[in-house]
Amino acid sequence: MNILLVEDDKQVAEFIVNELTAAGHNCNHAPDGVEGRAAAADGTYDVMVVDRMMPRMDGITLINTLRADGDTTPALMLSALGDVDDRVQGLHGGADDYLVKPFAMAELLARLDVLVRRVVPEAELQTVLEVKGLSMDLLKQHVQREKVTITLQPREYKLLEYLMRHAGQVVTRAMLLEHVWGYHFDPQTNVIDVHVSRLRQKIDKDFEFPLLNTVRGAGYRLGPQLDT
Amino acid sequence: MQVKDVVNSLTFRYIVKYVTVLSATVFMLVVALYIYFSYSSFRELGESVLDELETLQLVYSGQQMAGVQQYIEDQLSSPSVNRFYYLITDSEGEKVLGDLPQSPRYREFDDGWLGFEMALQNWGESVDVEFLAHPRGLGDGYSAIVARGYDDIVEQGKLVFRTLILVMSVMLVLGITGGFFSAARALNRVELLNRDISRIVRGGAERRLQVEGEKGYVRALAEVMNQMLEQMDSLMQGVRRVSDNIAHDLRTPLTRMRNNLSQLEGRLDGQDAIQLDGIIEECDDLLSSFNALLRISALESGSRLVDGSNVELRALLRDAVELYEPLALERNIDLTLDAPQSGLCKGEADLLVQMFANVLDNAIKYTPSGGDIRVQLRVGTAGSAGHGVVISDSGPGIPVVERKNVFRRFYRVESSRTELPGHGLGLSLVQAIAQYHFGSVELGSANPGLQVRIKLPAVAG
Repeated sequence: MNILLVEDDKQVAEFIVNELTAAGHNCNHAPDGVEGRAAAADGTYDVMVVDRMMPRMDGITLINTLRADGDTTPALMLSALGDVDDRVQGLHGGADDYLVKPFAMAELLARLDVLVRRVVPEAELQTVLEVKGLSMDLLKQHVQREKVTITLQPREYKLLEYLMRHAGQVVTRAMLLEHVWGYHFDPQTNVIDVHVSRLRQKIDKDFEFPLLNTVRGAGYRLGPQLDT
Repeated sequence: MQVKDVVNSLTFRYIVKYVTVLSATVFMLVVALYIYFSYSSFRELGESVLDELETLQLVYSGQQMAGVQQYIEDQLSSPSVNRFYYLITDSEGEKVLGDLPQSPRYREFDDGWLGFEMALQNWGESVDVEFLAHPRGLGDGYSAIVARGYDDIVEQGKLVFRTLILVMSVMLVLGITGGFFSAARALNRVELLNRDISRIVRGGAERRLQVEGEKGYVRALAEVMNQMLEQMDSLMQGVRRVSDNIAHDLRTPLTRMRNNLSQLEGRLDGQDAIQLDGIIEECDDLLSSFNALLRISALESGSRLVDGSNVELRALLRDAVELYEPLALERNIDLTLDAPQSGLCKGEADLLVQMFANVLDNAIKYTPSGGDIRVQLRVGTAGSAGHGVVISDSGPGIPVVERKNVFRRFYRVESSRTELPGHGLGLSLVQAIAQYHFGSVELGSANPGLQVRIKLPAVAG
């Protein structure tokens, strides 16, 4: 995918560009908000990664300006861990996602992937989600795999729904906590893993092949990997 | 401030001691003065009696008994009570002249002095008067006794004595009263200092003592203490800054390392990949404790919560309990929530849930299989002590002596140091989050487990 990185710290920028390129993406770098705006207007990008604090024009202003210009490219905001309410401010400021530096590359890649793929209008309107024989009827709230009904607890249902909506993509533990539970923090132990393994028991245990895979060093993926 | 406190204060005791010593000195002086006064008065009186006898003798040797009679009659016509009294007797001992009775009952003193008491008419009233008298032979068998009352001297002596005693009592009372009030004042100032200092000790390292209103040594003391606090504060901040800087500076290379490892893992398989996975996990663990450390610093150094939105504690607790339920179930621990009422509180949901999660995390870590963890929400009103969240487990608990320490960063109770994973930041973060929300955390015993009591201010629903 085409990624625009707007970041004033040269070292960090170089590192991210290298990593994204190594992961097979096409990445351009702009050193501040003003140049970032120009770059966003010139090229077509699938997603933007914008640092929050920059000289000349900060990240929030940049994203607001672009949105005012009619640019709907999804944007992920980066920030150094600072004020506690940074995240809330960043998300209110028009960013689609938010990541605190430093972050694991796997986390950034997973989030960018989700940001790029989520802009598919018909997916929002679907009433039945289906992944390799596993189906979820959103209206009846009914889940079955190969015609066998699977009974889920409300939270397991939400967890599976999120995984199915992002089938084939890597989702990290932080993303699950954020979207399934609605909280954003760094849990000390593997609480999320326990939830996932309980879900796995229900949807995978009695079937031929596993659907819910662990992606080492990153998180989980439901179904086979999508092409990038 | 209690009267007892003032009376026991050092200042008051000093003042009382001082006043007592002063009074004793004054008392001795008074006694000495009194003795001196009495002594010289009596000597004067005695001398006047002897002089009078001398005069009588002179009169007798010049003019015989007729002259003496004339002289005494002159004297007796004087209206003063404080005059001389006479008795002249012949060789037979019969009274010849004078106004003293013929044979009064004398007491004999040294050197021929006599003393007696007699009733006198003074302004129509009978008054008992003490007399000092001395006899002397006039010649030809006649002898004379001249007496003079000394009640006046005694009266004057008493007056002097009473005045001095009164002065001394007034001095004592005034001294001690004044002492009480100045001690109270000094104590009051010390108590104010004391209150300020304990407030600082309890966690207001940025506060300073009030110097403006103070004078003298209290001011000097307060200033020195402020300097001391300043130094302590900057030292503590220095230490904190160093550890924050380390955490901050190590985070980036550690992240890079983790990313590189993760890339490498993609190219490996089998046993190597699994081994590498363990290393990556350790990296993540380190990173997360660095992040926790920086978050604690951010929470502690920054200003506290400003206009947070209303959050509902029961919902947050339900979410936190629900999040940890499978983990508890996996370890065969009974995790229950007891929250009959909903309670509103100003805050940030993410932080509050993280706080509850940290406590639950600890509780699950330390509770043995088959144990139980109870989460209780006790709702308070806006004016009251606030909401209380009590999380009790059935683990080993924390000894009383360790309860303050476990809030320190990286501190771990000795027994858990080796047995369980963790970095000793969990409770520090819990405390930082609670204080950020103007709340507090206390540890108690759940007999035998640990009880974590979190207080958060309530807002009107």
